[in-house]
Amino acid sequence: MRIINPSFGVMPAGSEVLASGAVDWLKDPIVLFSNSKPNARELLDGLKAKLATIRGIDNIGYAQKNSASQAAPAETLAEVAQSYRIALLALAD
Amino acid sequence: MNDFSSSEVIDLDIPDSEAWNDFALAQGWSDGMPLVMPTEAAVARFTAAARGDNQTFAPISPRQVVPTLASLAANAVMAGCKPEYFPVVLAALRGVLSPEYNLHGTLATTHPCAPMIMVSGPLRQALDINCGSNCFGQGWRANATIGRALELILLNVGGARPGVMDRSTQGSPAKFSFCFGENEEVSPWAPYHVRRGFAATDSVVTVMSGEAPHNINDHGSTTAEGVLTTICESIAQPGSNLIYGKGPYVLVLGPEHAETLHRDGWTIEALREEVFRRARVHISRVSKENRESYASTGRHPDGDWYPMSPTVEDIHIVVAGGPGKHSAYIPSFGGTAVCSVRVALPA
Amino acid sequence: MAGVVIATETFRPLVLAQAKARKIEPKLVVVKHPVGGLNATELAERIDRAFEGIRELIAK
Repeated sequence: MRIINPSFGVMPAGSEVLASGAVDWLKDPIVLFSNSKPNARELLDGLKAKLATIRGIDNIGYAQKNSASQAAPAETLAEVAQSYRIALLALAD
Repeated sequence: MNDFSSSEVIDLDIPDSEAWNDFALAQGWSDGMPLVMPTEAAVARFTAAARGDNQTFAPISPRQVVPTLASLAANAVMAGCKPEYFPVVLAALRGVLSPEYNLHGTLATTHPCAPMIMVSGPLRQALDINCGSNCFGQGWRANATIGRALELILLNVGGARPGVMDRSTQGSPAKFSFCFGENEEVSPWAPYHVRRGFAATDSVVTVMSGEAPHNINDHGSTTAEGVLTTICESIAQPGSNLIYGKGPYVLVLGPEHAETLHRDGWTIEALREEVFRRARVHISRVSKENRESYASTGRHPDGDWYPMSPTVEDIHIVVAGGPGKHSAYIPSFGGTAVCSVRVALPA
Repeated sequence: MAGVVIATETFRPLVLAQAKARKIEPKLVVVKHPVGGLNATELAERIDRAFEGIRELIAK
């Protein structure tokens, strides 16, 4: 019996493997990115305080999605990508 | 479980339908109920029925692969559709693939949302889509299988597997199938799709990521004011995603409630304004922690009240169902939109 | 840009499946579920675990 595979699909163009460059955790600017769920901000604030104990430079910023239920706006992501080298994303739930 | 992901056609040595269903379950292709086998011949009948729809499809979240017409048809076959339902399934898929629908968010969320499919226009009658009594329920092949086909596509092509990519805390019976027709014949107002700018002769599929319908029972009110009070107070729920996430909702008026509202002079536009004004949750019904949480993401009450939709335009009112003093409220996921797509039919 | 996802154990499969779909190898720090609904004392344990995970990543 020959059937058509109901899960068949093709990868879209441009879906090659992505890789990020090397970073310096102790010096490079870090953005703490919240998914806007309750306690995400608090979790990231706690992390920021702990990171300060091992990093000698105060270059940690904060960003969040407009809504927990929607993707972050492209302009937010562009700003973050331009200003920071490392992102810590909290998927609180 | 074998990995057939790179093969569009699979040769199986399956003796009977029981063995087929065991196989399909093992592949993760099933919603738990028996499936029709998507043979090449059956799928060909479906793709022939969709020859009026020649546009390619966007990648389907969360798996992010581009479907073929045959793989989509295989899901419609498995769901138990007739070939002539397939253009409606494809229109529904195009609706949920609209960027503003936010398919990824609606599938990966813990909220119990499912793609609501509402059909307006002449195809409702041609395909025997139930718009009357029990329109959200069982008993009609078109309603049951069109909604199921879309769910199977999102499961099998999209990869929205419960517990993995579909993270709904409790799920919903609406995730099996959620399809109904607008009862244009008994509605005192213009059909929904006409109000959205389509021709009356068009058949249109409207989708929204919504919860299963919430009943609004009002047997006692004899005036529009009375019915509106019950409707607005039923919509104003502090545990709704619409407070948390803000978004559209659908108010499905039963024909008898619609008639009372119409008799007392209400237009759809005036109803939307009134429901927007009155369907609100007082801050005293929202916990302090929640109010602080909403404020931290820019969600503030309007005075002492939380509105249930961002704007009047996010309230969608239709008529469906049969005799009885019931209406229904379908809250959305929140971060989503109500998308309408004309069904592309063969010339 | 380097990204690290801090997710609860419950959402680990979702993160991995999403990363696979996007052909990304995620740096993932897993903490106990849930994060929402915890008081400050309960949340402190999640913060400690997240920091520990970050330190492990830094040391690699």
